[in-house]
Amino acid sequence: MATTIPSIACLGVIGRNNNPLHTSIFPSYDPATNSFRPVRTPLQFSLILSSTLDVFELRARQNAAAGVGLTGDFGLLHAVDDRLAAYGFETNTGTRFVVIVDMRGRRVDGAAAAAAAQTGAAEGSSSKRVAHAATGLREGEMRPVFKAMQAAYIQLMQNPFFEPDEHSPPTGQGGKRITSKKFAEEMRRIGEGWTPGVVNL
Amino acid sequence: MDEYPEGSLDNSIPFLLTFGTRTTEASDSSSVSALSHALKDEAILIRSELEPLESDQARAVLRYIKDRDASTLPCSARDSVPRRYRFRVRSAERSILLPPRRARLPEGYEPPSPTQPLVLHSPYSPLSPISTLYPDGLIDPNWLRKHQDFIPSVLLCFYSLVADPTLSTLCDNQIKTDINNIRALLSQSGYKTRLAVVLLSEHGSSSHSSSDGVQERVEIIRRGCGLDSKALFLVPAGGSQEELERVAENMLTTLYAVAIDYYRDLGRHSRKKRSRGIAPQPTVPPTSGTSQTLSLAGWNVRYDFKTAVFAEYRLEMDVALRSYELAYENLLSSELMELIPSWSPRWNEGRLLADIIAVRCLRCLLWNGQHSAAARRWQFHRERLADLVDRRARGTSNYSWEAWEARWAVVMADLMDRAGIPELSPPSTRLYLPPEKSAMGERLQPWELLHHKGYWYRLAATHVQARRAFARAIPDDHRRSPGDSPATLVAKSAFAYDTYMCPEPYEEYPLRRPGVDHGRMIIDLLMRARAEFLERNQIRLAAEVALDCARELALAEDWHNVVELLRPLWKDLPFRSEGWTAIAESLTWGLRAAAAQIDDAELVILADWALLSRDFAKRPNWHYDISKSLEDVEVSSKPSVSIRDGQFQSFISASFLFESEEGRAGQSVRSQLSITSNAQPESAPVVLGSVYLSFHGCLDGVILRHQKNEQSAPTRGKTTLATVPLTRQADGDPYPEKSAEDGGGLTLIGSADLTLRPGQTLVFNMEIPLREPGETRADTLTLHVGCDDFDLRETITLQERGSKNSWHISPSRTKLLAHPHPLAVRVLPRPPKMEIRCPVWKEQYYTDEPIELEFDIENGEDVEALAKLDVVLFGEKPPSFTVSVPGQEDHVSSNVRSEETRLFAAPMGTIASSQSLPIRLRLPPIDRPSGYDLTLKVIYFLPTNPGTPISQNAVFQLNVVNPFEANYELLPRLHPDPWPSLFDPDNVVIPPLGGDNENPPNPQGLSQTWCLVTRYASFAAEPLRVTDVDIVIHPSPLASYSFTKRTDLPASGAGRLVPPQTIQEAAFDLVAKKATIDDRSHAPLDVSLILRWARTDAGADKDGQEPPTPEKINTTTLPIPRFSIFGTEPRVLATVSHHHQRHRRGRYHRSQPGSGSDEDYNPNPELEEDSDDGDDDGNAPFVTLTITIENASTHFLTFGLAMEPSELFAFSGPKQTTISLLPVSRRSVRYRLLAVGDGSDGSGGDAGGVGAGKKKDGAKKEDGEDLGGEEEEEEEGIWVRPALVVRDKYFQKVLRVIGASEGVRAGKEGLEVWLPRLG
Repeated sequence: MATTIPSIACLGVIGRNNNPLHTSIFPSYDPATNSFRPVRTPLQFSLILSSTLDVFELRARQNAAAGVGLTGDFGLLHAVDDRLAAYGFETNTGTRFVVIVDMRGRRVDGAAAAAAAQTGAAEGSSSKRVAHAATGLREGEMRPVFKAMQAAYIQLMQNPFFEPDEHSPPTGQGGKRITSKKFAEEMRRIGEGWTPGVVNL
Repeated sequence: MDEYPEGSLDNSIPFLLTFGTRTTEASDSSSVSALSHALKDEAILIRSELEPLESDQARAVLRYIKDRDASTLPCSARDSVPRRYRFRVRSAERSILLPPRRARLPEGYEPPSPTQPLVLHSPYSPLSPISTLYPDGLIDPNWLRKHQDFIPSVLLCFYSLVADPTLSTLCDNQIKTDINNIRALLSQSGYKTRLAVVLLSEHGSSSHSSSDGVQERVEIIRRGCGLDSKALFLVPAGGSQEELERVAENMLTTLYAVAIDYYRDLGRHSRKKRSRGIAPQPTVPPTSGTSQTLSLAGWNVRYDFKTAVFAEYRLEMDVALRSYELAYENLLSSELMELIPSWSPRWNEGRLLADIIAVRCLRCLLWNGQHSAAARRWQFHRERLADLVDRRARGTSNYSWEAWEARWAVVMADLMDRAGIPELSPPSTRLYLPPEKSAMGERLQPWELLHHKGYWYRLAATHVQARRAFARAIPDDHRRSPGDSPATLVAKSAFAYDTYMCPEPYEEYPLRRPGVDHGRMIIDLLMRARAEFLERNQIRLAAEVALDCARELALAEDWHNVVELLRPLWKDLPFRSEGWTAIAESLTWGLRAAAAQIDDAELVILADWALLSRDFAKRPNWHYDISKSLEDVEVSSKPSVSIRDGQFQSFISASFLFESEEGRAGQSVRSQLSITSNAQPESAPVVLGSVYLSFHGCLDGVILRHQKNEQSAPTRGKTTLATVPLTRQADGDPYPEKSAEDGGGLTLIGSADLTLRPGQTLVFNMEIPLREPGETRADTLTLHVGCDDFDLRETITLQERGSKNSWHISPSRTKLLAHPHPLAVRVLPRPPKMEIRCPVWKEQYYTDEPIELEFDIENGEDVEALAKLDVVLFGEKPPSFTVSVPGQEDHVSSNVRSEETRLFAAPMGTIASSQSLPIRLRLPPIDRPSGYDLTLKVIYFLPTNPGTPISQNAVFQLNVVNPFEANYELLPRLHPDPWPSLFDPDNVVIPPLGGDNENPPNPQGLSQTWCLVTRYASFAAEPLRVTDVDIVIHPSPLASYSFTKRTDLPASGAGRLVPPQTIQEAAFDLVAKKATIDDRSHAPLDVSLILRWARTDAGADKDGQEPPTPEKINTTTLPIPRFSIFGTEPRVLATVSHHHQRHRRGRYHRSQPGSGSDEDYNPNPELEEDSDDGDDDGNAPFVTLTITIENASTHFLTFGLAMEPSELFAFSGPKQTTISLLPVSRRSVRYRLLAVGDGSDGSGGDAGGVGAGKKKDGAKKEDGEDLGGEEEEEEEGIWVRPALVVRDKYFQKVLRVIGASEGVRAGKEGLEVWLPRLG
């Protein structure tokens, strides 16, 4: 009996002008083929990232009205469906980090799962179904991810050859994507390294 | 939710049936018709004999009650208005049908034993053979309807209380009979429906007596019918609306308690049956099928379910939830669902029941506001069922399961709709609810935070899509309808498909006819989701949904709707400009395809134009040629498309630069237009028909027209550089873009090759003429693509790009333009063409020289000019000056301030075109070096524009420097004349008494002779001609002065040319004589040196033999610092006289014949000593050294004179002597000196030795030995240092011996005398 735990399906960095700066897509566990592959196409992830902008705007308005949200952590933006959920963070320069979590992205087998899987459905006819005890996420569980993403972004900004104005022009229109390999590698590391409960990336 | 059996999911609300009023709608029949056909025959009819009421009063009461119907109210505990009652209100006129309490036996069934009567059960029970549940079904959803729709908890009968006293008794009796009749019928039916009566009084409420009578009648009726006091209501007649409402409200509240009581009884009954713990036996033992009856567990599910439903009626949601959960668990337990085979119809019934229970659970949770629990319950049910279906039935990988999943998501959305959660309403701008307190802190799935309905609809849509995918995978055999396919196949596929609440495979996706319209379902769901998202301003998510929707519509080939859906997204949403390229791409392609289908040519062109951009991924096998874009589109007329700037990001970008920041009117400025294509690399070149560059300012626009160019302009790489000559637009050739309103503007036309290849940059150099002052700014660029099929115009607003203004020098090279606003050029006014020149401007002017400056004012304008002149001289204490203009009188400047002299608006008259006017500016001699700024400003008016003054400035730097500098030396000389004697009475000056002060008497005092040597140098930048050097001695009352000068200037007066930086010398012999002999004080000597000089004219000959004209001679006076002469201190003067003339030549070149007059001078007559020495000693070069001691004091002084012998020279004269001097007298001692030894001997190494040998002779003197060594030898003679010491005997002070003639000098150690060499 295998159960599944959340994993990161996609990491997105969105610039001040609502322009996509970076997207990393991570494969999820697919029980049908017992393999790993992304749950959505890049276009779909692009749409999901883009749709988080609505939520950012909405929240920004709410936060401004309520005078809260200074930390920039927006927490859960919305759940796209029963499987994917988007979490967001906004830096004080307007750059936004989005983490799309696949709630069933990783498989846990063996002893770890057995403890959780005390439901009656133990016949083994299907490894596909989630045990009811599938882990959810606590509030703030994404904070290490954002912290690591921000650290990577700051490192990128510290590169003297990186020109922030190229990526988020002050004119407010578009901008280039981030092409730094190091940054992409860092995103990859963060995306692959996170599991629920990780406190430091 | 509508797919579930009717009523199965409805809210359970106490059912109130009004009876006995005329109703407008045919609700009677509707409620009856809902009874199933089988039951209708046996239905119990309850009927009233009286006519239904039609009075206004009855209608008003009925309306009020009906308005309080709660069946459509949101099922949520949090109500805005707290209600005291909830009823589901139906009304009937005079008859109602109740379902039979007992089911009849099946037809033709013979009871096995007449003695033991069969126990009949409800037709809804699995015990009754006629029930569909018989023998082992669980619950018929119709059972829910039975209580919901058929059996009222309260039957509210309306009667009228007749006011007419004659009829009242009769009517009251009729009412009594009717009520009793109905009561009897109800009790016969076996239902415990409560009966209540409303009496509508026809009496006015005014009269007290009649109201008493009414009360009495009501009491009689109540007693006659045995009604409870709580079940009889009297509505007074003629009451106001408020009173009526009060009565009705009171009545409904009372009735609600009755109804709750009714349902409590029913619930208690169910619980009682459950607690019995046995499964009842059916009426007739089953004989067919498995002959299995419902197990006890099944009965428990039934009882729990019923208990829960009745609790729900009573709004005891917690109780209901508990019972539902119990029923649910039991239902899905191993004793029930696990035992039912999946092919059995009971399996699907079980699933349906599970769904119904789950829905009702969810509703209870939502009622209580446990949103997260509801979402979790929703997921739990899904997972539980998926698990069950996977294990026990046909799995979850089929269309049926996906259909159920979709339904399950919609159910949730519908439930939320019913619950009407205000926290999720669009104005709250919340997308999901935070978890309730009990769930807080748990590890929640994000989905467990209840999201708004849009998400649920969208989830449902994705499941429908999955359902369709599964349906598409059904093999063809199964898609045939059973009638067409062989029986074996039918048999095989009979149980292969799960058909729970969905059609058979041959209906789902039939082979030859349309089946289930999945697309429609998806679109419906997506549109509902989209509406929800739009309501909450989630425009991007709505766009995503719309994109999905459009895909479905495209599958359905509903192209119009696709365009309608996508066009606003494409036009308004910033996906493209924000850089979400993939989204924009999919949007554009989708739109393009749809537009092509509906022949929307404009949209096709726009989309094709946008798709040309290289930002998008290349679609293989696409033509990428804008001219071909209308190939598959039918157009009625030639479409004309114009694209505003910012409408979308075009693949063409343009920039424009003026080369310089400013220009002048009348000139032209270079500019560069570059157009860059970022098209797909393999796309066809775009031929721009023309481009129009619009300006703001002194020019309207520039049009470049396409002209095919065979020999291409210089191209390198991707850049083409061309220079376009521009011409003025001819009349009658208006460019279509140019609007008519701005007439009179200037439009320029040029032609160039405007073929734009992918990735290419076209650069055009243009000369743009500037006409008027101001600012000219490039605004927009309009591209026009014209071909046979269509016209396309795109307007690009030119933008300044900060620091990235590259000017193409050549195709491969660029330079950065520094100025910050290259789109604009500042046009300065037309430049003045008046020129101010000074043909002979000199670097330096000199002090003491009148300065005359000549200027030419040249009129470079095309016409004559009326001019005036301002002259300003600025500096420290500027002199006033005179300006003379030919034909005008001279103007003299005025001093404005201490540092400025100006002449204002001196008229110059009219200067003809290209004529020049010489003006002359004269400055008086300036006596000290200084610098001035001379500003000439010509202000003139042209007759063509007399109102506008034009001015031209010229600034000159006037440097006045001192041409000469000099230094001075005053050398003492011995006055040849004897001093007047103090003791001579002739010398006593008797001051004249009175009068003749004007002529001072001849000076009688002491005389001194001095030689003033001046050395002057020219500091001018050029050679100057010095014509005369002179001094002026300022007269002093103490002494009189006279002088003679000795210069080497030519006597002709032509002067000498003094080159710069050379030193010239002039000497003056000065004789000073004190006025009286008594005056022995110092006398000042103030002298000024006067140099007369002239500039050397360029034309004059260098030799300057011609003396310059007196006008040209300038006089420079150099004051000499004051000397002080005379005094009382004794002086020792040494003079020499030579006897050997030969040695004198050349060496003293300054000594003129006159100056040598002292050679044979006879010393004072008092100096009788050696008065006559051997001057005639042949050729021996004797030198006579005369030491004269002057005592100007009134003391008697005694001096000792000592002369040391030296080996360098021989001398005659006293070696040691004492001289006494009377007051105011002088005496001389004379030595004759002769140089001894060879000159070469004297110099060189042995000089020291000789000196040392001589030392013994002069042993008294310490430094005597040094003397020899320091002697200096000239070619003709040597300088020797006689060790001559003059000592004041009294003060024991050595006096300095001063050289007072040529041949004597003051050396470092003392007096030195030049001796000609012997031989």
